[in-house]
Amino acid sequence: MKFSTQDASQAAVDTLTSNYADKWDGAGQIDQTNAFIQFMYSNDLIYVVLGVTLIIWFVLLVFLFRLDRKVSTLENKINPSKNHEA
Amino acid sequence: MKAWKYIVAVGMTIVIASGFLISVPDIPILEQTSRNLFFHVPMWMAMFSMFSISFYYSIRYLNNPEIQFDIKAESAASVGIVFGICGLMTGSLWARFTWGTWWTFAEPKMNLAALAVMIYYAYFVLRSAFDDGEKRAKLSAVYNIFAVTTIPFLLYVVPRQLESLHPGAEGNPAFSEITAPELRYILYPAFIGFIALAFWIYDVVHRHKMVQYHSENS
Repeated sequence: MKFSTQDASQAAVDTLTSNYADKWDGAGQIDQTNAFIQFMYSNDLIYVVLGVTLIIWFVLLVFLFRLDRKVSTLENKINPSKNHEA
Repeated sequence: MKAWKYIVAVGMTIVIASGFLISVPDIPILEQTSRNLFFHVPMWMAMFSMFSISFYYSIRYLNNPEIQFDIKAESAASVGIVFGICGLMTGSLWARFTWGTWWTFAEPKMNLAALAVMIYYAYFVLRSAFDDGEKRAKLSAVYNIFAVTTIPFLLYVVPRQLESLHPGAEGNPAFSEITAPELRYILYPAFIGFIALAFWIYDVVHRHKMVQYHSENS
């Protein structure tokens, strides 16, 4: 399997890719790559979709944790008895 | 909690579940990853809508310098950048297993999207450079108007004029006849869902910043 990144048409606009194509051509040698890459290629690439959803989830989770911590700091500072509607 | 937030919560659950459950057309190389369309592309739509909100409030601030407009603009931009980072990271993972590389400089949309996120990162760097709230608000509003004008060029105009691995290059709309129409039934609800989710997060960030502002100025 060879993918279009390394096509000659791409190399014409991008010398960097052609210079590094040997290093970047991971998709061409699935058998030789590590267990993670092989796992991701299995089952028609469905784990890539899982990876994408997990990335979104983790980024939002990190953001939520940071926001939570900021709100806690603020609460400790003002220490209100008010009932904030969420 | 307001009712629309429950609707977003239920709607997003349906979108995510059906994104995995519907049968996708058999496209070579992409295979199952065509489902990423429902997760990767709405990130950018959410980012655009947040930056639009930010732009709107920056203009409002310049017309009428009240600090709450600046707080809204800042909140929206911060949520927009989070979705931009999500879009870059999901795109990079997707690229690795379909284009064969985590990152390629042959792909204009990828690089210009990273540039767009960095332009907005500079917005926050600029904000952090001022101690005086009024000066910070005014200058960052001006910068924000510059930043938002780059977005359509970086992500629509320029990539479509160049050779690109993304669908939608060379002047075509991203959804041409080669793309399966049944993907749209999930894609458009996913757009609405993620934009609404972004708006929800923006709402929480904005409320936090307002409370912070009032606690510091009371």
